Amino acid sequence: MRRPYIGTRRHNKGIVMTNTTEPDNSPPLRLRLRVPAKAVVTFSPLLQAGFVVTARTGCSVKTLLCGQFGIDEEYVTRRITTMFLDSRPVDKMDSTLVRDGATLALSCAMPGLVGATLRRGGFYAAFREGISCREEESPVRPGIGSLKIKLFNLLMGELGPLFLGRGIIVAASAMEELLAGSSVEFLASCWEVSVDTAPAQVTAMIKNDIFKGREKVRLTVLFDPPVEVLEDDL
Amino acid sequence: MDKIARIDMSTAGGPTVTMTELGEYAGLGGRAMTSIIIATEVHPLAHPLGAENKLVIAPGMLSGTAGAMTGRLSVGCKSPLTGTIKESNAGGQAAQVLARLGYAAIILEGKPPTDDLHKIHISKDGIKITVDNTLRLLDNYPAVAKLREEYGDKVAYMTIGSAGERKLLAASIACTDPELRPTRHCGRGGVGAVMGAKGIKAIIIDDAGMKMRPPKDPERYRDANRKFVEGLRKHPVTGEGLPAYGTNILTNILNEAGGYPTRNFKSGVYEGGSKLSGEAQAELEIKRGGKATHGCHRGCVIQCSGIYNDADGNYITKQPEYETVWSHGGHCGIDDLDTVARLDYLDDNIGVDTIDMGVAIGVAMDAGVIPFGDKEGAIRLVEEVGKGTPLGRILGSGAAITGKVFGVERVPVVKDQALPAYDPRPIQGIGVTYATTTQGADHTAGYAIATNILKVGGDVDPLKTEGQVELSRNLQIATAAIDSTGMCLFIAFAIMDQPETFQALLDMLGSFYGITMTGDDVVALGKKVLSAERDFNKRAGFTAAHDRLPRFFYTEAIEPHNQVFQITDEELDSVFNW
Ligand code: SF4
Repeated sequence: MRRPYIGTRRHNKGIVMTNTTEPDNSPPLRLRLRVPAKAVVTFSPLLQAGFVVTARTGCSVKTLLCGQFGIDEEYVTRRITTMFLDSRPVDKMDSTLVRDGATLALSCAMPGLVGATLRRGGFYAAFREGISCREEESPVRPGIGSLKIKLFNLLMGELGPLFLGRGIIVAASAMEELLAGSSVEFLASCWEVSVDTAPAQVTAMIKNDIFKGREKVRLTVLFDPPVEVLEDDL
Repeated sequence: MDKIARIDMSTAGGPTVTMTELGEYAGLGGRAMTSIIIATEVHPLAHPLGAENKLVIAPGMLSGTAGAMTGRLSVGCKSPLTGTIKESNAGGQAAQVLARLGYAAIILEGKPPTDDLHKIHISKDGIKITVDNTLRLLDNYPAVAKLREEYGDKVAYMTIGSAGERKLLAASIACTDPELRPTRHCGRGGVGAVMGAKGIKAIIIDDAGMKMRPPKDPERYRDANRKFVEGLRKHPVTGEGLPAYGTNILTNILNEAGGYPTRNFKSGVYEGGSKLSGEAQAELEIKRGGKATHGCHRGCVIQCSGIYNDADGNYITKQPEYETVWSHGGHCGIDDLDTVARLDYLDDNIGVDTIDMGVAIGVAMDAGVIPFGDKEGAIRLVEEVGKGTPLGRILGSGAAITGKVFGVERVPVVKDQALPAYDPRPIQGIGVTYATTTQGADHTAGYAIATNILKVGGDVDPLKTEGQVELSRNLQIATAAIDSTGMCLFIAFAIMDQPETFQALLDMLGSFYGITMTGDDVVALGKKVLSAERDFNKRAGFTAAHDRLPRFFYTEAIEPHNQVFQITDEELDSVFNW
């Protein structure tokens, strides 16, 4: 049994993005909830469409994933076999640098010839040679910046709790759409709900239109049970 | 599988059946069987809907055995859509059942002198052909329902819908799945129109009283099959990704790579992509009491399919595949899975190829027939095909005809067959295959990705651009070989990454036939098939000029990578140099 990342959902020792900050000036609505572990699938629309986190930029993709997010190196190597930086397939995790404002999409191995073609360092990489990530020509300055992360397929269930546990920033409209489309069972299963630190109820939130006029939401989700059930075998 | 049945539909007193031995076709199966028969026996200039054309139905080399993944059925003919040789394959139960009855091929020949509709019943007692005009213009679901009243539930059905009867160029042949739904289609190339031209509405295959085909070396076969299954189960693609999300797992990835053709190939990114994704689809299927994991035939261990229900939990269709979700979704600017599912059902029912049908709708949208994103309009257009209206007949004849009739410049076809769901500008190697395949633009023509293990053509440097042509050639060879085994192409990943799984496949073939099978034998088989197909096409008038992508791929750069297709004609012409 290998855990995809270091630390637990409650402590997240290996992760530095503890103080996620808002890229623009308007503060995001801070929504926090606790849900049963199996409910992670409910958040998949947000995870696959992409969410914003704050991290140290100017480092390599590998350093970002392993050093900052605390994802186990072997998991990254063996499981995250397809990755895109700003729509460009990444082949060299060690030397591909992440800039402030970049979008990093992560996926398991994909089927089909195109799946093989897009795979990191894959045998068919020549097929998409023109769009592959290249070495940066201009220097990338280290700093704190915002990144958009997208999680696809099996990684949503495996890495979703890590990011959700630390807090992600999503569009308020996307959050509203997610809750509006959620099942009654899911809404009933949310507890320890708070909005801007004040206790709240999910159903009342929807009824009271709390997302109106807000641009962004900083969503933090804790799962019960917290870690073990989500850490499947590789 | 030691016999071939030839059914001549031309004879005045009604169709006649002749049983022959395999003769020169011994040892062939699937695509190797269909292509070599067509290349040998059909006049290359024959009209595809005329008496000279033949429709060959062949199970794979391992179909009808206890081996996993062995149930693909190949159907071959001269294509009315492309004018080239055609092999179109599908899952469903037909291949397994036909193989157990001992048939290496059924060859439908000639053309009936009347416009009667026939059904062919194949069982251990022989082949019986009867006229049944009560089936006329029934689409696939009602046709199978009616046939089940007569033949029951322990058989496999192959049928054509109204599109096949009308001989539309995108018409498919439906094969029933384990639940007897006509959901698995030999879709590409208009093979359904050829069956319609021969006056055959349905083939009922009944293997009652028959057993699994016995291997020459049962113990070795069992052992090889066990290792093969283990290999499929442990690989993340065949053991996890495909079972969980199906082929539509590709939507998010292609969209992210900028290779998801959107609104008739105008962009490589679709803003509604995540709503169409395999992830969203699987979640919806499970929520509505459908299934996200389902096999198209018994013996499939990957189970990339599923069951798609409506919001009330009622069956709409099987899980639409990636290509279908794209052709009816992003290609048409439609981001609603329920609409895509309805369209998939209509395609299956009427009996048309979901790729050519969807691409034709997108081309019609580009022409202004209806706007991009018009969900109800798209459903209405496919219904026109079912009704056989003039507009429906145009659309049901595929994207190339639709583009010509409506004066559209951007028509994504090669040899008149619609391109599948991968834009060749960002992923240029795919374009090499689309342009040069013997079948017209076809993503499965270069799919069997085990060329590294096969060492087809020696070692290729995958990071060099020059490698693209060589890789494409090797892929086409490997695919032609796998298509001949009856194995589903989705085994490709496991055999590419796991040499022991590839070896298990070779051992299955070897122990079944009592021979020693090597990678070289597989390569030789693939080359033999491709050479026969290329030769047929050449005699049918196809030249290097046909091995090209449509001009707009060379002149219109596509977002987000702003690339055009850059492989030179000389490079394309060298694909088949061996
Ligand atoms: S993997 Fe999919 S296409 Fe292949 S045999 Fe199984 S269900 Fe059919």
